Amino acid sequence: MPVSAGADAGARVVGAVGPVVEPRVRLRLGAGDVPLVAIGQRVAAGDPVAERRRDGAVAWARLGGSAAPEPGTAVEAGVPVAGRGRRAVRFAGSGRVLYTTPSGLLRVAVGRHAEQVGTPTAGVVESVGPAAIVIRADGIGLPGTLTAGEATVGRLVVAVRRPDDELPVAAVDVGAAGAILVAGARIDVEALTRARAMGVRGVIVGGVVGRDLRSFAASEARQRAALHTSPPFALLVLDGFGKRPIPPGAWAALVAAEGRDVGISADPSFALLDVAAAVAAEPRDRVRVAAGEGLGRIGRLLEVVGRRRLPAGVLGPVARVALEAGGPGQPPEERLVPLADLERTGP
Amino acid sequence: MTARPIAFFTIDHGTATTAAAIIGQLDGRFRLLAAGAQPAGISADGLLAGLVAEVAAIEPDVLPDPTTWSDWRRLESATHRPPRALVAAASETGLGAAEAAVAAAGWRVVGRISPERTDALAATERCLDPDVELLVVATADPVPAEERDALADLVALVAAALGRRDDEPTLVLAGGAAGVMQRFPAARVVLGPAPLPHPHAGADPLRDLLVALDQALIAGAGGPAAGFPDGRRALVTATASLAAVLDRRVELVDVGATAGLRVLVGPGGVRGAIVSAEGALTPPDVIEDDRRADGVLQWSTIRADAASMRDRVRNLAIAPWRDAAGDGARLRLAAARAALARLDAAWRLPDDAEDRPASYGTDLLVASGGAFAVAPAPAVALALVDTLRRPGGMTLAHDHARVLAPIGGLADEADRRRLLADLLGDVLAPLGSAIVAAGLHAGRHRGTVRITSEDGADMRIELVPGGVQLVDLPPGVAATAELTTRDGLWLGVRAHHFALPVAGGLGGLVVDTREIPLRLPERPERRRDLLDAWQRPLWAGADT
Repeated sequence: MPVSAGADAGARVVGAVGPVVEPRVRLRLGAGDVPLVAIGQRVAAGDPVAERRRDGAVAWARLGGSAAPEPGTAVEAGVPVAGRGRRAVRFAGSGRVLYTTPSGLLRVAVGRHAEQVGTPTAGVVESVGPAAIVIRADGIGLPGTLTAGEATVGRLVVAVRRPDDELPVAAVDVGAAGAILVAGARIDVEALTRARAMGVRGVIVGGVVGRDLRSFAASEARQRAALHTSPPFALLVLDGFGKRPIPPGAWAALVAAEGRDVGISADPSFALLDVAAAVAAEPRDRVRVAAGEGLGRIGRLLEVVGRRRLPAGVLGPVARVALEAGGPGQPPEERLVPLADLERTGP
Repeated sequence: MTARPIAFFTIDHGTATTAAAIIGQLDGRFRLLAAGAQPAGISADGLLAGLVAEVAAIEPDVLPDPTTWSDWRRLESATHRPPRALVAAASETGLGAAEAAVAAAGWRVVGRISPERTDALAATERCLDPDVELLVVATADPVPAEERDALADLVALVAAALGRRDDEPTLVLAGGAAGVMQRFPAARVVLGPAPLPHPHAGADPLRDLLVALDQALIAGAGGPAAGFPDGRRALVTATASLAAVLDRRVELVDVGATAGLRVLVGPGGVRGAIVSAEGALTPPDVIEDDRRADGVLQWSTIRADAASMRDRVRNLAIAPWRDAAGDGARLRLAAARAALARLDAAWRLPDDAEDRPASYGTDLLVASGGAFAVAPAPAVALALVDTLRRPGGMTLAHDHARVLAPIGGLADEADRRRLLADLLGDVLAPLGSAIVAAGLHAGRHRGTVRITSEDGADMRIELVPGGVQLVDLPPGVAATAELTTRDGLWLGVRAHHFALPVAGGLGGLVVDTREIPLRLPERPERRRDLLDAWQRPLWAGADT
């Protein structure tokens, strides 16, 4: 084997997390929720796959000598779940049996309202468990750092010109109803709230400010608690916290998928694209600055030059990188960048 | 004819970074020739080739044929993300004791069930969570009379939920809960002893069982870490070997991206050892919980708004290797301090023989793990002294090349000791020494510390009450520090005069007369100013 580490400098740099082919997507179920699909069943994006019992609570009844139903047995409102005649055990809400206590108390998870849970992707149901449905998605999944909200699907609209742009509040209008917006490097809570109100189904961004994420999560919780809920909405964060340009590989895939139906899953976090929007291969020496000064800039890795003293007096390996022009005030330049702050644009 | 040199690699596969080193034989002794680290997820070959190239460029004769490096032997260890556990008990008291055992065995506790805190719906949903790999139901043995009804109800709930799961999470029935094992499929159940009523890091049969289950889970899992000795357990072994080689009490703290370790070895063997997800560089739930991020930031000296700093902490959790210079390095060490403080909060040792209170002192304190990888040595020394506070003197060192875990993975104790004896001076970077003294009063006669070193130097410094002083004592220099006060000092015992052997290091000698535990101002600005005043002199180029 060659001794020189300079032969393939790209091998010293961490690669971008690449797209996952036919990713497994998990849709979580509550203890009272009822699956509507079976293993092996093919589903289309948006198809209902489960019935969710909202405002879940525990109801109980004495069995009074009747045989205890199995845990997980579906309970329909007003329909006897155990016993017969005058001894029939019924519940006012629908849900599922939790368990029977040693003293003969039947405990049931019931919900006052039911709503349907849709799949964010076309695919095949791989498993149906008490706590989750797993779907093997068609196409590819672009991994994200986190998803807030619920799995959703919609027509993809790239709403910014560059991956490091930000989507202004005023740019979100009713024309985006039903869409999933690609919103650039960051979206604030006002734009998110407006998007939600305009019927947007989801937003994909490079970064989000944690404070905005908290506000959004609180708003979502209020939405879910309302009597009439709105369609599912999700925020998919691709890279991290703060303002972070969308990584080039993901940006290229999203641009290629514009106009098509795209899903967002929460478990794990994926932007779900159909196969036609697959990502092109990237050269191994193409890198982006993933942290520190010049965050988001793209360039070509020229060489790993060894250890250098860095700010705060720490020592670390650095690389010489030919950075491309990065927008206004950022001409092309050659710069030494800590190796740890670089990421290959390809996997 | 001269014998061909011998060289091999040590590789520590962490969850965030991989560290590698070349060990070669010079004049019949093993020596560290080169070391480096890179983010996990990249093939180690590029790093290894780079290290070989570095050595070959400077001293090619110490290596075997460099082109054969890919055939050289490798000592490897690997750490893994802590698996998830759910803890259930029939009372809050029982829950606390069981959780302490589970958390100290290296599991991440993701849910707690007790009648007081959890309703049947939430408890069932936690039991059904497919990410939970272990469920522990624990009570005292025998089951206290007041918990019997609650335990019967809890067992019915757990049995119903687990019966619905297709996968096979392990169920530990600990203490009196073992009496209900007939409610569960035998293949799924492991019986264990009751949790200790007052949990500690010493011998604990339940924790040992949970450690064994954790190790079995790793062994059964695939992935890049499969097949290598567990890095954290190997560090415990290596610390014991190190203590034997030095014939000293040795303590080691390891702060990694997903868990932390603390182990103390004395003359009689391991006095205490915990592996804790809470001891990770960033707390496990820092992404969701602002308060956990604030817990890190209370050690930060960076001036910026709280929201953006919380985001930096979260980015550190997502990619711990990034942003390693400048403020990023300072933030990483603040996170390491917070992790050490969390490890310290869970650190309780059992009483010594004849009911004497446990001795927490150590002769040598070793820092390990990626958290300390890029900070200057004096800053690491102060981070240790800030957080693991106890009166007395100790030597501080850094496992800078992360060689101890791969050595600890060697099966043979004689091999470990031989390697450690040869490599001590290379793999343990001398951070310096620390003297932590409590009870120094302000006033006219505050006391002095006199340092006389073996090279003839003689220094006398006035002690500063409630302060931290740095005395220049270069690596390799042994000295005696004599502390003299009129009103007395507390270094485990109270006296007016102490003489302690100290060793020099990159951070010199730290003389610390601050409170134990350290009390920091409540107001963020004042706290930050105080931390900055202590830390600023330790960061080279602090203004860059």
